[in-house]
Amino acid sequence: MWQWLYKLGSPRHFYEMTSTFLPWLTFVTYFLLIVGLVWGLGFAPRDYQMGDNYRIIYIHVPLALGALWVYVMMAVMAAMHMIWNIKVADMVAKSCAVVGVSYCAVALFTGAMWGKRIWGVYWIWDAKLTSFLILFFIYIGVMALRSAFDSETSASKAASVLTLVGIVNLPIVYYASVWWNTLHQPPSRLSLSAEGANPPEIWIPVFFTGFGLIGLVFLLVILRTRNEILWRERRAQWVQDLVKQELSRA
Amino acid sequence: MPDFQFASLGDFFAMGGYAFYVWAAYLFFFAVMIWNLLQPRLERRKVLKLLQARQARESNAAARAGE
Repeated sequence: MWQWLYKLGSPRHFYEMTSTFLPWLTFVTYFLLIVGLVWGLGFAPRDYQMGDNYRIIYIHVPLALGALWVYVMMAVMAAMHMIWNIKVADMVAKSCAVVGVSYCAVALFTGAMWGKRIWGVYWIWDAKLTSFLILFFIYIGVMALRSAFDSETSASKAASVLTLVGIVNLPIVYYASVWWNTLHQPPSRLSLSAEGANPPEIWIPVFFTGFGLIGLVFLLVILRTRNEILWRERRAQWVQDLVKQELSRA
Repeated sequence: MPDFQFASLGDFFAMGGYAFYVWAAYLFFFAVMIWNLLQPRLERRKVLKLLQARQARESNAAARAGE
């Protein structure tokens, strides 16, 4: 296990290992997403209070949780880069920022579409929404800071530090609706019986889209990291051989 | 297997009167995720082309140095 993790720290091994399981990851991710979306949009029963508008939750909730999850990944990678100076960790962190900011944007947009019908407004400055908007800006800040340096080493260091500082916002986003009275509802309690507030017919599709969108996080981060590896390791012999191979295949 | 919740396809697109909100949310979602999936593939092609050009340049330079 440790040796396996240790090997992933080498750009070449990371590239080769991801080559073998990328097709599987792609297949599982697409399968989960297609099942979850079709089920959620067409087959899950209508909510008796919110009508069909509630069908937005099948993407809104997993995207919002996904955006938080990507940040945790990015922070762990930033810490690993700072402590052990692992190059791959920094490349993964760089990829995480782009994926995270896209999840944030869609979570905010789908939230606005929901809010308009349920609360009567697209946006309100309550604790949950505002702290989530700050998460969006932190992602943008990390990306901007990284691109502001000419030297790759300084860029990675600065981005890692900002990423670690930004962790402070995560519990605020997650617990905002518990700590304060927000218009945004706290996390729902799921019930196993059909009589409960949130019966399984409603929430099972969320698990499909949820795991599908987490799979998509890994898929997108890996695809981006592989490009980054090719570029940063461009002087290595194995990359030069790989480029030649691609040339002969094309 | 749960039943399809809408009487017709038209009903499905109407989303019980919430069509604008539901479809706007899903449309934006699909647009962003398709970009997310396409962008790294285009980027990969770009990186490979750049590296190929670099290799060609270097082998040319080596050939000239050998003359």
